[in-house]
Amino acid sequence: MVAGRYKSRTLRRKKVKTPGGRLTTHYLKRKPKKAHCAECGVVLSGVPRERPYIMRNLGKTKKRPERPFGGMLCSKCSRDLIKKQARK
Amino acid sequence: MVFEIGRVCVKIAGRDSNRRCVIVDTVDDKIVLIDGDVRRRKCNVIHLEPLDSVIKIKKGASHSEVAKEFKDLGFNVWETKPRKTAERPKKVRKVKEKPAEEEKPAKKKAEKPKKEEKKEEAEETELEKIAETEEKPKKKTVKKVAKKE
Repeated sequence: MVAGRYKSRTLRRKKVKTPGGRLTTHYLKRKPKKAHCAECGVVLSGVPRERPYIMRNLGKTKKRPERPFGGMLCSKCSRDLIKKQARK
Repeated sequence: MVFEIGRVCVKIAGRDSNRRCVIVDTVDDKIVLIDGDVRRRKCNVIHLEPLDSVIKIKKGASHSEVAKEFKDLGFNVWETKPRKTAERPKKVRKVKEKPAEEEKPAKKKAEKPKKEEKKEEAEETELEKIAETEEKPKKKTVKKVAKKE
């Protein structure tokens, strides 16, 4: 019987074949979902999705694109914003 | 023509977006040479937002001329300084003096007294260390007594 703490759906199940030839299930933690644009809601590119203990050790340039509003707005929305500011 | 030589624009896309630049030369219908608060390079016209002002520049003006005009208007200018490469420390190899073969028996005699000397030195250093450790706690107690007083 599976221990009660492994029945939670916050863990994902992975079938693993051991060196002894047995098929066992491993219970692994899930990753967070991808970042979305604050304006239009599109999935952002250049932003990794990792658990906090990995994200903390990544460098600043590895977590977002090197662009104003990078990691916050998608490229299209940032372009529109800059156009608006320039036309004022 | 909106994108003419001397037209001040704002870059929309890229890592240098939201910065002002001037069109210095036209390569194509779509591609243009820019300079100013931006590295001197080619750029697609789609990634530029033209502004009202036009500067009087010659075609293919140098960076210094563009920098002058920009500073008169009160804009920033992008300047790259050449990197100073520090001199790498050169490793000096230790030259081992290889003595001749005739001196081998003399070496063996010299090695034995050396080993004895080394053992004596090791014992001495150990004694010194013990003496030091004995001294250190004494010093600490002295300090504590002084503070209490």
